[in-house]
This record gives sequence, C-alpha cells and structure tokens, in this order.
Amino acid sequence: MEKSKNTNYIRYIITLIVLITLFVILILLNIKLGSVDVSVKDIIDILFHGSGNETNYNILWKVRLPRMMASIILGGALALSGFLLQTFFNNPIAGPYVLGISSGSKMMVALVMIAVLSRYHYVNSAALIIAAFAGAMLSMGFVLIISRKVNSVSMLIVCGVMIGYICSAITDIMITFADDANIVNLHNWSLGSFSGTSWKNVGVMASVVLPTSLIVFLMSKPIGAYQLGENYAKNMGINIKLFRIMLVLLSSFLCACVTAFAGPISFVGIAVPHLVKSFLKTSKPLIVTPICFLGGSVFCLGCDLIARTLFAPVELSVSTVSSIFGVPIVIYIMLKKRVH
Amino acid sequence: MNKEYFFYTKKLTVGYNGKPLIKDIEVNLKKGQILTLIGPNGSGKSTILKSITKHLKSICGTIYIDSESIESMSNKDMAQKVSVMLTDKLKTELMTCKDVVETGRYPYTGMLGILSEEDNLQVRNAMELVNAWELRDRDFTEISDGQRQRILLARAICQEPEIIVLDEPTSFLDIHYELELLSILRTLAEERNITVIMSLHELDMAQKVSDLVMCVKGEYITHLGTPEEIFQKELISQLYDLSNGNYNPLFGSFEMERPKGKPKVFVIAGGGTGIAEYRILQKKGIPFATGILHKNDIDYQLAQDLASEVFFEKSFDPISEAVFQNALDRMNSCNIVINCLKTYGEINMKNKTLYREAVSQGKKILESADML
Amino acid sequence: MIKKRYMLTAMVIIIISLLSGCSQDMDKNEKFLGNQLHTEGSMELKYAKNFSVDYYKEGYALISISDGSRYLIVPEGKDIPTNLDKSITILRQPINNIYLVATSAMCLFDALDSLDTISLSGTKAEDWYIENAKAAMKAGDIIYAGKYNIPDYEMIMSNNCKLAIESTMINHTPEVKDKLEELGIPVLTDQSSYESHPLGRTEWIKLYGLLTGKESEAKQLFDEQASYIDQLASQEKTDKTVAFFYISSSGNAIARKSGDYVTRMIELAGGNYIFDHLGNSESATSTVTLEMEEFYATAKDADFIIYNSTIDGELSSVEELIGKNSLLKDFKAVQNDNVWCTSKNMFQETTQFGLMISDIHRMLTNDDKDLAKLNFMYKLSATDGEK
Repeated sequence: MEKSKNTNYIRYIITLIVLITLFVILILLNIKLGSVDVSVKDIIDILFHGSGNETNYNILWKVRLPRMMASIILGGALALSGFLLQTFFNNPIAGPYVLGISSGSKMMVALVMIAVLSRYHYVNSAALIIAAFAGAMLSMGFVLIISRKVNSVSMLIVCGVMIGYICSAITDIMITFADDANIVNLHNWSLGSFSGTSWKNVGVMASVVLPTSLIVFLMSKPIGAYQLGENYAKNMGINIKLFRIMLVLLSSFLCACVTAFAGPISFVGIAVPHLVKSFLKTSKPLIVTPICFLGGSVFCLGCDLIARTLFAPVELSVSTVSSIFGVPIVIYIMLKKRVH
Repeated sequence: MNKEYFFYTKKLTVGYNGKPLIKDIEVNLKKGQILTLIGPNGSGKSTILKSITKHLKSICGTIYIDSESIESMSNKDMAQKVSVMLTDKLKTELMTCKDVVETGRYPYTGMLGILSEEDNLQVRNAMELVNAWELRDRDFTEISDGQRQRILLARAICQEPEIIVLDEPTSFLDIHYELELLSILRTLAEERNITVIMSLHELDMAQKVSDLVMCVKGEYITHLGTPEEIFQKELISQLYDLSNGNYNPLFGSFEMERPKGKPKVFVIAGGGTGIAEYRILQKKGIPFATGILHKNDIDYQLAQDLASEVFFEKSFDPISEAVFQNALDRMNSCNIVINCLKTYGEINMKNKTLYREAVSQGKKILESADML
Repeated sequence: MIKKRYMLTAMVIIIISLLSGCSQDMDKNEKFLGNQLHTEGSMELKYAKNFSVDYYKEGYALISISDGSRYLIVPEGKDIPTNLDKSITILRQPINNIYLVATSAMCLFDALDSLDTISLSGTKAEDWYIENAKAAMKAGDIIYAGKYNIPDYEMIMSNNCKLAIESTMINHTPEVKDKLEELGIPVLTDQSSYESHPLGRTEWIKLYGLLTGKESEAKQLFDEQASYIDQLASQEKTDKTVAFFYISSSGNAIARKSGDYVTRMIELAGGNYIFDHLGNSESATSTVTLEMEEFYATAKDADFIIYNSTIDGELSSVEELIGKNSLLKDFKAVQNDNVWCTSKNMFQETTQFGLMISDIHRMLTNDDKDLAKLNFMYKLSATDGEK
C-alpha cells in the first residue's frame, strides 16, 4: 500500500512542478515578448524599481501585465468550469459551453448592440460586459428551471443544447433585421480576445473567479462522491437537488465571467481537464481542481502569447489558437477511450 | 412499543409520482436479520428498496430505523445507518478499486474528504473481508463483474452501516461469486449484527440465506414469513404464475413443463435411476407414465413434475397388488417401455414382474429414451 | 429729443441682450476652461454641423464634437489652464504620430499634405486607394497598427502617439477607446459620416487643418469645392430622377436613405433621388436594404441609374448589371441607356465632393450621346468596349 501511495504522490508532485515551471516560463515570456522590444534590464527596472523608460513602463504595466493576468484568471476559470461539467454529466466531451451559455451571452450582447447603438451611437464597455454576463445567467436560469422537472442528468445536456439553439435563432433574427453597421462587431466579439484588458477588469474578474474557484475546491468531497453516480452520492448523504444547482451555478458563473470579459473561448474547458487527469492519473477532485486551474492558466498564457505575437500587429483570435491545440488533444482522448 | 425490532415499517405505501404501487407494507426486522424480497419482474421490489434508502419518497406510511422515522433523519444520519449496493452501471474515470471503496467513508471524513488512519483501516478491513484487497490498485473499470460486485460490497461495508440494502446483488455473478457474496452477507449479519435487506431472483439462494422472505406481487405484499413458510409449491407457483413449469420446494428447483397428452412411454424406475430418462423424454416432448416408485424415492419427486401419471407405493412398503394392477393397465396402453432398473429389492420386486409382462406382451423395450 | 433718447435706450438694451445672448454661449465653454480663457471667435462653418471650434488668445482653441467630446488645443510651449473641466481632453501641439483609423480622414490629410503627421494606420497598405498613403506605408513612414477593434497597443505607445483619430466603428468596441485613453492617448472620433450635406463632410478638412497647423490651406481647398456648389445653385433644378444603389450578394438592393449625403449630392446636382422617404431618419445607418421587387416597384421609373460599385467591384457592362437580377432589364434607365457606375474610389475622395456633384450635374444635363466618362463615374454600355 505504501508503494502505490508514494508513486501517486510522486506523480502529483512532478505534474505540479512541471506546471509551475511552465507557468513561470510563460509569465516571463509574456512579459518580455510583444510588438515592442523591451530589454531585460528595463523590465527589471520597471517591475522592481518603478523606474525606467516611461513608454515601456506603460507598455508593461498597462498593456502586457493586465492582459497576462486575464489569461491566468480566465484560463483557470474555463478549465475548472469544464472539469465540473464533465464530472457532472459524466461526459468527456462536455465543456463550459454545453449549457448554452455562449449563445445566451451572444444574444444579449447583440441585443444591447442593436438597441443602444442605433439610438445613441455609443455604448459603454461596461454595458457590453454586463450584457454578456446577464445573457449567460439567463441561459443558466432556463437550464436550472428545466432541471427541476427532469430527473435524468443527461437530459440537461439536451436542454443546454436546445437553449443554445434558441438563443442562436433569436440572435439570427435580430441580425436579419438590424442594420449591418450595428452588428458588424458581433462576429468579432464571438471570436474571443484578451486584448485591451485593464486592471479594473482584472479586479472584477479576480473578485468573481477566485472565490468561486475556492468554493469549488472546498466542494471536492461531494464532487468526488458524485463520481460514482447520483444514486450512490445520495446514499452517502449528499443533497442531490442542491448539489445539482450548485454545480450548474458555479460552472456557469466561471464561464459567464470569461465570456463577459473575453468573449467565448473554445476548447480550453474541454481539453485541459483531460490533459490534467491523464498526467495525474486520477480524477480525485481534491487534487484535480487546483491542478486544473493551473493547467488552464498555463494553456491560456501560451495560447494568448501565440495569438498576439505570431503575426503582430495582426492578432489571431485566441479561440483559434486554443482550438488548434485543443482539437488534437480531444481527438487523442476519444481514440484512447475507444480502445477501451 | 416496537423496541425489540430494529427496522420496521408502518402502513408503508410506495410508488412513483404519487401513484401507489404497493400498499400497506408492514415488516419488522431485528438486528442482524436478513430479509429477502422475491417476486416477478417489475413487481416493485426495487421500488420498495429505493423507498427504504430514501432514493424515492414513500407515498404514505413510515419507515423506522431504531425507533426513529427515516423522514426525520438527516442525509448524514441516513448515510451512517444505511448503505447500499445498486444495479447501476458505474462509469468511473481513473478510479482505483480502493478509491471506490474509500467513498464509503464519506459520512465520517472531514470537510475535504481526507481519510484518517481509522478510515484507512476500515477500508482495508472491508476489502479483506470480501477478498478484494489485492485489487486495490487496479482500475475499477478493468476488473470483472464479479470482482466489481465485491468492491461495491466492500464500499457498502466500510460505510459502517447498521443496514445494508442490496438490489439484486448477484445478477451478474457466476455461482462461485454468488456463493461467496451471500456467505459474506451471512457473516456480516451473524458477526456484526448488520441487518440486510435485499432482492434476489435466485430462489434457491433466497431460501438458503434468508431469515425472512417477502413476496412482492400486485398491490400488496402477498406473503411475509420464514423461508420454510414461503417456499411452498403452491405459493411459489402462484407468485411467479407458473403455468409453464413446476417448483419443487424440497430442492428449491424448477422444472420445465411436463409433456402433454396421453402417455406413450412407460418408464420402470426407482432409486434415482429414472431421472435421466425423465429428462430426456421431457426434452423430446414425449408424455410418459412411470412406476412403480416409492414416495421416499428421488425419482418420485421428479416424476411428480414431469410424468403424466405416476404409480407409487407408500414409503417402505412393498408394492401392493392394487397399485401393481393399475400400473400394469397403464403399461399395456403404452407402446414403448423403458426399464431403468438393473437390480431389484424386496420392496420393489413387483417391478420385475412388470418388466417380464412387458417383454411377454411384445412391447418395444428400450435401453434409453435416447433412442427414440 | 425724447425720441432720440428712447432710441438710444432701446439700442443699448438690444445690444446688451444680444451681447449677453452671445456671451451665454461663450460663457458655457469658458466655464469648462476654468474661466481662464475668453472666447475671441469661432470657426466659420458653412455646412458642417458635427463639430465647432472656438478660438482663444495665443492660439488656444477648443474643439467641440457632436458626440459630446471636447478638445483643447494648447499651443507649443504654452501652459495648460488650471481648473479645466475633467471632460476636456488636452491636445498639445505639435500634434504628430497620429494613429489614423478613420479612412475618410486620410484623404483630407493627403490634400493638406500632412501625411507626415501620421505614423500609424488602422488599414493595411494594400487596402488604401490613396497613392500617397500607400507609398508612405510601403516606405515605412506609416506602419500598420492592427485593426480598429484589436489595435497593437504596444506599437502605438512606443511610437509616441499623440492622437488617435477613430471612425464611428469605435463605438462598437468601446473598450478599445477606454484602453487607448487609459494609456494616455487622446481619442477623437471622426463624425463626418453623420454630416447630411456632402460638403459638410469635406468641411472637416478645416478641423484637421487646425490640428496640423494648416488652417489656411484647408480653407482654400474647401472654398474651391464650395464654389462648384455655388455655381450649380444658380442653375435650375431638373426633373430627372436618379436611383443610387447596388445589389448585395444575397440578392437585395441596397439603396441610400433619403436625406443622406449621397442623395443630397444628387439633389445639389439638380437631380431628384427616386425615393422620397426611404429609411428611418432616426437610425444611424445610411443604407436601406430592399427586396428586389419592392425596389423595382419604385426605382424602375428612375431616369438614371448610378450603380454603387465601391462595395462589390466595378461593373463592365450592362449585361453584368442585368446578370445580378433580371428585373433590372425593365428599368427605364436601362432601356434608355442611362446607366452609370461609380469608379471604385469615389467615396474615399472626400475633398472632391464638389467636383463629384458637378459630375452628377453633367450626367443629368448632358446632351452628348458620346459622353461616357466623367471624373468619378463612367457610363455602362451594352457590351464592353464597343462604344
């Protein structure tokens, strides 16, 4: 017994070390790399002594660092959200958007763009963020209401997909009747980007994502019990109805936050939990949850770095990059499961 | 009032969506007793079990555990009193067998679910009890069905319950594992005073392992009693609607339908020699008569279920003339005779006569029904 | 005697009330400037309604844009007035290293020969029609700094950008504006697309002239275009009707809203836009999408067609036009051989609107059957190259 426990611990620690190393490397790269060349000496001056070239100072503190923080926080949020939903639905292809959240967000953003822009010619950036978040919560709300009437958990996925379709349909109707000029940016919004993040944004993100993630970690025990299925979980004393609601709420909150600030970002939520679990060779929430968050941060740090530096000044959508890396991972996992 | 009983129900009615399926269930169990539910498919056994484990809300009536109604018990209390083993197919991911068993300690671990020394000990004990300790590091999805049931049982055990509820725990098991599992349950009941409530399809096992048996059919519990009371031919036949077979309570076995029609073959047997022939004839669908047997003969038991007509004498008595004559008449109407006896004793000497009669009448004599 | 006194008092009262009326307006702006500066005059604007400029001593000037933003031009070396209202953005001269996103402004900068004040562009080199802009980008004097909705902030900052001139598209991505301002880069949103008079758009050259210190050149260029209009003002309005549209990829007709600057150009040229009250005057957009049949019902009677080729590409023949939708065959303008097409760069040449209007006038009043090419339009013939 001792031997196997030790191998497990060793595996966990190695994974943690690798992830932390990647984390640090990517942070350093994200600070150093960009369209403008900033020397290492300058970086040190700026970060630790508060001095240095003023333009570079601003570039670092106002452009690169807040964006990097957004990648870290939102990447972690996506990965956690994906892990929660994959456990809940016992479905390896479930992701943060399976409950129709991105469609709900897009619908509300389109609505605000059309309603406000056509009348006032200008819309507040905070309004778009709130709209996206509200749209996500709306989708989530519908799913929760339907989940009360429905006993089987797999029906929830169907609900989520259906809600997604309805929201998309409504959005399409709005687009048809709207003037092109008002919704031309809707497509751009749907691509997802960390560009232009400010420290104010970071503050709001952190205040939503970090407490929520902590709650998820503290719920490791019921999540673990849930892995045997709802009936066994109930026998172990878990209040199933409450747990379902909590899970939907938590994962939706995390995902809504990401969508509100950065638009929909695909595949992080699906691919990262699988990657993490395959390295840790366990699905125990107590271990997986924090590592998943870290993994999501690392993944997004990498994807965003590539998105903004590969073809500078043209910026790829971070969703594009995450899909390019995420899809092979998901395919590999599917194949591995089929062999089973 | 019901202090002596550990588990009991009062006017319990169960069902789904407010529609009652089984009404007025009254059962009393002492600690360490095993109650088995038997009955046809879909009769409501699972419904009752689910109501006991609070997976399903009972429609009316109360279930009491240790004088406390389960309605008033919190989820945690229930978790520490009742553990289950269900028919659910588990789709676990990257969980070792030990991980699965460890979940049984859930009601006892702290907030983050980290196991203490005591918890680990319980897990190990439970796994050793079911002989599954060596499987502890194997992936739960990679073991056989029999091993999986054992792991789930270990999980139920390490939950330190006072009652274990099992829904058809032996469904996927071959006889080896079935025996093993049931004997573990008996051990648990005897040594740890754990009350066991389960449903079984295998009546022979139910007969052997239970203290109490409940028959579930229709709107009410048809019977509740000891195995001796329940496992009767009539009762079982009625319970399972056996128009197409017969139940033998002595062996707890079932026989398929007897061949219909006027006997074509007469089988002279006794002392267990006829069993093989009866089976062959039944398989071939050939109605037959047999005799002359004694009531304490094994052949008699089987002949009752398979033969169209049985000629028999009281136990230990030599065959009487009357019986002999009847048998002879019947044999005369048959075209084929099979003689299973090689030797004859004092009390069945008349069978020799019967045989000679057959030969002299020119009946077709066969060694075995195989040749038909 | 008494009469004289009454008249004097009346005059004094009138003058005082006039002055106070004037000063009330000036007072408002002066309040924003902390009452440190006193208005000395305003920019003379003939057609533009979406911006105004007040002049103060020593070269200070306050620009007010119709979206509510205000910019104080502070001459080089001069101090910033204290107690400035927070809503005022300071623009210190010299204003250079401009990040230009509003494509319509590039033409104006080019006409002013002020391309050297621009160092960053929101449009790639190959997408500019203005040759000088293209050349400047190719030479590296102007660098591409990313699309308007995801600009390369680092590049913009490291180029010491003093001002970002955005188009109204920035309203859809307010977070970009916020970010630029957070980084200390003032943003001015060009509202010329909201001008209903075509020369109102051209008049924005005066604003950019002010920013680049070329006010007199700007006035001269504008007056030249205005003179075309003045010439036409004396002419009689014809009764000819014009349809201005293009056929979209989904098969609909995209026409201009009545009252938009293109239809105004047609009116100023002496023509009549075929649609009387098309479109919602409240809405921000200038085009209206019509299903072909609906469009056909009204537009088939137009005397002239000007096909808007700036979107999908220039047409080479009438057949190509009819190929987009066969209903076009029955249009009066097609049957009478009065179909014209805009050259692709028509709308980028903001400084030539006067000439464009004159073009349209010539098309409307032309007698010469052989006239097939104007400055900004050409006639579509039955088969290409035959005429």
